[in-house]
Amino acid sequence: MSAGTEFDLVVIGGGPGGYVAAIRAAQLGMRTAVVEREHLGGICLNWGCIPTKALLRTSELYRQIAVAEAFGLRVEGLGFDLGRIVERSRAVAEKLANGVAFLMKKNKIAVFDATGRLQGSGRVGLTGTDGAILPSIAAEHIVIATGARARSLPSLEPDGVRIWTYKEAMVPAALPRSLLVIGSGAIGIEFASFYRALGVDVTVVEVLDRILPAEDEEISKLARTAFTRQGMTIHTGATVEHLRDTETGVGARLRTTGGAALDIEAGRVILAVGITGNVEGLGLEEQGVQVERGHIVVDEWCRTGAPGLYAIGDVAGPPWLAHKAMHEGVLCVEKIAGVEGVHPLDKTGIPGCTYCTPQIASLGLTEKAAREAGYELRVGRYPYAANGKAIALGETDGLVKTVFDANTGALLGAHMIGADVTELIQGFAIGKTLETTEAELIATIFPHPTLSEMMHESVLDAFGRALHI
Amino acid sequence: MSAPADHDGLHESSPENVMSRIAEQILRNGDGRNGEKTKRLFASPLARRIARDRGIDLAALEGSGPHGRIVLADVERAANEPPTAAPKADISQAPDAVAEPEPAMMGELMHAPAAVPVQGLSDKQILSLYQPGSYEMVPHDTMRRMIADRLTLAKQTIPHFYLNIECELDALLAARERLNGMAPQGGPRAFKLSINDFIVKAMAMALQTVPAANAIWTETGILRSRPSDIAVAVALEGGGLHTPVIRDAEVKSLSEISNEMRDLAARARSKRLAPHEYQGGTTSISNLGMYGIDSFEAVINPPQSSILAVGRAEKKPIVKDDAIKIATMMGATLSCDHRVIDGALGAELLAAFKAYLEDPVTMLV
Repeated sequence: MSAGTEFDLVVIGGGPGGYVAAIRAAQLGMRTAVVEREHLGGICLNWGCIPTKALLRTSELYRQIAVAEAFGLRVEGLGFDLGRIVERSRAVAEKLANGVAFLMKKNKIAVFDATGRLQGSGRVGLTGTDGAILPSIAAEHIVIATGARARSLPSLEPDGVRIWTYKEAMVPAALPRSLLVIGSGAIGIEFASFYRALGVDVTVVEVLDRILPAEDEEISKLARTAFTRQGMTIHTGATVEHLRDTETGVGARLRTTGGAALDIEAGRVILAVGITGNVEGLGLEEQGVQVERGHIVVDEWCRTGAPGLYAIGDVAGPPWLAHKAMHEGVLCVEKIAGVEGVHPLDKTGIPGCTYCTPQIASLGLTEKAAREAGYELRVGRYPYAANGKAIALGETDGLVKTVFDANTGALLGAHMIGADVTELIQGFAIGKTLETTEAELIATIFPHPTLSEMMHESVLDAFGRALHI
Repeated sequence: MSAPADHDGLHESSPENVMSRIAEQILRNGDGRNGEKTKRLFASPLARRIARDRGIDLAALEGSGPHGRIVLADVERAANEPPTAAPKADISQAPDAVAEPEPAMMGELMHAPAAVPVQGLSDKQILSLYQPGSYEMVPHDTMRRMIADRLTLAKQTIPHFYLNIECELDALLAARERLNGMAPQGGPRAFKLSINDFIVKAMAMALQTVPAANAIWTETGILRSRPSDIAVAVALEGGGLHTPVIRDAEVKSLSEISNEMRDLAARARSKRLAPHEYQGGTTSISNLGMYGIDSFEAVINPPQSSILAVGRAEKKPIVKDDAIKIATMMGATLSCDHRVIDGALGAELLAAFKAYLEDPVTMLV
């Protein structure tokens, strides 16, 4: 690590946005430092995307082995060891965190294990993990990438014992008998799916009228059907009025939009009602950085308005996705470096993935949003049940839906539910970035037999040309 | 996709940018004509389709995508910008409301309201006025786009005024008949003079007689041209026009002008003109006489400072020496750029033109 204190660019926060910004800056020849208070790799790598994917891999395998007989396999004595499930998840996270440390070293990026605070005129004050004040560092450009944390609601404060956030939910000491998940966004639904697969009695409460409210309505509906069939209980249009400790766990009073009250009991509660930016303790206000609703306000180049101060990723607002943070990190740094041809982030080009069973992946505008935006639409649908590969895999639940502008053939949105859709969505993402119309997608040869053929058929269907339905 | 991406940077519709775009188009056309490898145009499929639907010439756009690829945002920006913008009103020079009133006439000129850029209807607004299915959309080609750019620029930036005159052509027609009658049949010295050849020559001579009118406007100063380089509008089959330039027309003979014009017109129609053959000149001649048009007013082709619109020649009763007699008369209208040519100067030019045309022998000296 460099012993210097003067840099061209300092990133506060070593999560996916921050470390990627730092690598790009180093590639562009800047002397770069990262200030990280806890773990390189941030929440994503240590307490988010990656370890949950390890957990969900277990639950996915478990589900599959449970139906192995249908595939001609005999399995006896199927069971699980929760401790080892969690252990594996932690090992995966640790391996990747070490990987990030290696990347910092490789790119000659100085890493300060400290909490950073803006001191003005390009200085960042550092407080070590042990509370010791360290020599401050300075840089012409400071990128704030401090991320976000679970939002709590008044009267619904997580206590870490019975009322969990994602963090406790990821490392359970024991499986609760029952679980109440408050919030049906990606995080809530992934935990609901994981715990349900291991046999926990799961109830999901969502304040809006449907689960996964960011997704296309049709996808939300299909997801609800699938989860209900798996034995989840789902309450939409309902709020949690209060939680109280009971002998066995937590009692919750739900209130529907119609005004009816419903009392339920659960061993544990997961609070997944959204995310709020880590904007505290940074000295933002003193530096004239504007914060609105828990997030730093930035322009299309991630500039805060205060000279030399930038913000990227979750702390700069939704969507709270690692890949959005990484993209912002790169564009912010490239803009600083004066790289030509940098484009602002196009939010309709950010795919979103939820790794529940069945998986959900989407890109761009939902059908409803597209209609509301005034587009005349062509919508294509293709069900998993009609795809040869899906039938061979025994994965016949799902749908690939595509939304096109009828006038220009522009791909406005793609919405998928079913096996492996999180790996498929990038095909549409590339297409959208290249600004393809339906013509190029139709002219593309999709390999047979694959799930990807459904993407082709969905496009064909939008234009009345589906072949296999 | 919801709204066109907002890019910062220079607005591309300022007159300077339109002019440089025109220059680029000319250069690009030149490249193609000379058989040099024309650069492949990189554009996204969506950009291509929308450009085609809205009649936007992709070649005129600058791509903001990777390696200059033209993407949707570029096309949308082009679709949303007016063809050209009027010059920016300079607020700092706006007259103070309490300023001393100036003499009436000058005051009126000086206090004319500052030009406000006029935004035309968007394509969407226009299309909403017409029943779908009741029309077809013909995409713009480079030439249509160029005509639109240049002439809109002309009408927005050049203060036009118009002068009419009628010329008696009987002497010219007699001379023409005589000259054509003695022309060699075939061979390099063969010729067949048209009325238009005389008009070109007369204009060339008039510009030498009134050199102040042989000039164009630049911000630095008035560019006075020495030779009489005269552009002649040639209508192309299927629409569009070219304006090849007859250079040094004041020193060329009628037969030289005639033969050169014939060659340039033929090559203009087959679009095989080199850029140097249609650039420059201080004035143009547009002749619609053959269509039976009596008179009309033409739009100046920037950066030129005038254009002569020529109507048909027909026999009319005129009063001469207090008697009514029949003469072949031709109407001509000179559009002038007031920045360069004031009324009296324009009138002088047109009078000189008339004098040469009515007595073609004078063009010999």
